[in-house]
Amino acid sequence: MLAIETEKLTKKFGNFTALNALSLKVNEGETYGLLGPNGSGKTTTIKILCDLLRPTSGSVKVLGKLLPSTVVKNEIGYMPQETAIYLDNTVHENLLLFGRIYCMPAERIEKREAEMLKFVDLLDWRDALVSTLSGGMKHRVSLACALIHEPHLLFLDEPTVGVDPELRATFWKYFDTMSAKGITVIITTHYMDEASHCSKVGLLRQGKLIAEGKPNEIMNKTDTKSLEDAFLALARGDAK
Amino acid sequence: MNARRTLAFTRRTLMQFRHDRRTFAFVLVMPLLMILIFGYTFGGEVSNVKVEVINQDVGYVADRVINNTNHDTLTITMSTDTVTSKKLVDDGKTWAAIIFPANFTSNLVKYMTFNASATNAANSTNVTNTIAPIRPAVEIYLDGSNPNMAGAVMKAVNTAIINTINDIAREMNRSASEIPINVTANYAYGGENTKFIDYFAPGVISFAIMMVTTMITIILFVFERRNGTLQRLLASPASEVEIVLGYALAFGVIGMIQSIVILSAAILVFNITIAGNILLALFVVMLLAVGHQGLGILLSSWAKNELQAIQFIPLIIFPSVLLAGLFWPIESVPALLRPIGYIIPLKYGIDAERSIMLRGWGIGQIWFEITILVVFALLTLGASVLLLKRRG
Repeated sequence: MLAIETEKLTKKFGNFTALNALSLKVNEGETYGLLGPNGSGKTTTIKILCDLLRPTSGSVKVLGKLLPSTVVKNEIGYMPQETAIYLDNTVHENLLLFGRIYCMPAERIEKREAEMLKFVDLLDWRDALVSTLSGGMKHRVSLACALIHEPHLLFLDEPTVGVDPELRATFWKYFDTMSAKGITVIITTHYMDEASHCSKVGLLRQGKLIAEGKPNEIMNKTDTKSLEDAFLALARGDAK
Repeated sequence: MNARRTLAFTRRTLMQFRHDRRTFAFVLVMPLLMILIFGYTFGGEVSNVKVEVINQDVGYVADRVINNTNHDTLTITMSTDTVTSKKLVDDGKTWAAIIFPANFTSNLVKYMTFNASATNAANSTNVTNTIAPIRPAVEIYLDGSNPNMAGAVMKAVNTAIINTINDIAREMNRSASEIPINVTANYAYGGENTKFIDYFAPGVISFAIMMVTTMITIILFVFERRNGTLQRLLASPASEVEIVLGYALAFGVIGMIQSIVILSAAILVFNITIAGNILLALFVVMLLAVGHQGLGILLSSWAKNELQAIQFIPLIIFPSVLLAGLFWPIESVPALLRPIGYIIPLKYGIDAERSIMLRGWGIGQIWFEITILVVFALLTLGASVLLLKRRG
């Protein structure tokens, strides 16, 4: 089954076309990397998929449901680019809020909170104010908040921007664990190289998909050794 | 609508205030400071006003007036020299010179006798052409540069005269109405014990709650937008109504805590009187808080950052302070600006609080103000929900 299916998705902001007839298909269980430089339409795509923006034209199906759909919101997790957690609350209070938003029973919130804190290695920081945590820790709390309700589909918007190499490696380890559990992960990044962790990548340029496939396939097709070179080659238009 | 989800937002917001002690202190201390500063500045009864009294009266009435003067309000120095005393006023050494002329008692007696015979003459239709005698008079030479001080002097002297005349009338077994300069004060509400602070406290409470709620909501919502938490909430199954109501409840609770603190301070420090139902007074404050929380959400959408957000503050504060009847009644606002006063919701909050606290009115008499506040809250909260529903 398809987790995501968009049909000729176009989004215009005034005269600027952010997405130009984007048709995207993501299979369930895939870790899909949406790659592209700044301003290529990655965040716009994610926001449309999360129903935070409405497309100018085209249609979107998420987990088989045509957007806008309230039902589907229970099944998805979203980690925005920004910190997106409450700084003047504790880690526990943030997790509790998101647990309650998804109407989880108290015992289950408690159980999932412990699991999540263990997963992102913050068990000792449960009662710390978020504002006292380091940038990397905040990122981990944000991820835990996106996962507390066990979503089937996870949107991660630039989760590794401004994150040090060590934590980036840790994050990719987390994402691999999630895909092993069968969660579909849609991830945007402009660090092309780390996208080799993805089972499939789509290269976005000026709101259009210029290539899609397994990372190896794309490198082979462009006769390059890295996704970054592949992107540059594709941008110049020298694909085979 | 899911109540548990709504309450989750309320609890999260309240916990934030628990952790951010400084902001919580601002929420409580700012209104407290306002009532204390305003209360002491405007509300304190003037006392120890230095005056000189020159008593040239050969009779006994002036002595009694002087004895009846409130010696807390006026600090009296007796003098015999009018010229020197007036000079002291000119030099700003004393606020007033109060002069009782030599004929003060005799004029009073003559006036009373004349009035009595005039009444008799009128009754017997025997018209006599008599010239009315001169009314007894006190001369007050006053430094009017400070209206508060001048007002205190005038009030003290008037009260002393009224009390003296009433005493004399009682002793002579005559009605006080036969005696000149008879002023009787009848109070519909309040009374001689009503102080300016009693009038002022309901206004300050309303104003403080309006200001704090609007300011904090604007800032909190600019943060929600910039920090991405709002995006996250909107991507969740939570509805816009639940988010807005969750916040509204939190600010309702905070508004109540604020007003309890201000009211306690006003009662303890200024000994204000509350004639009406205190729960109704708290309910009105809660309505004000909820409505202005909605206003804060709306305004926040026109601010790209915190710096732009605080630019709204003076824009809200000045019309509210000057035109909504906080210091002076809206009737004394120039006619050109008055319509603005009538569209400021705070005006109705202040009016309702005053009616409850000073007149002891109930919901039956302030239903109009309450309706306006309910409509205001519904409009701002409804518009906030629509605003959050809007997708680019």
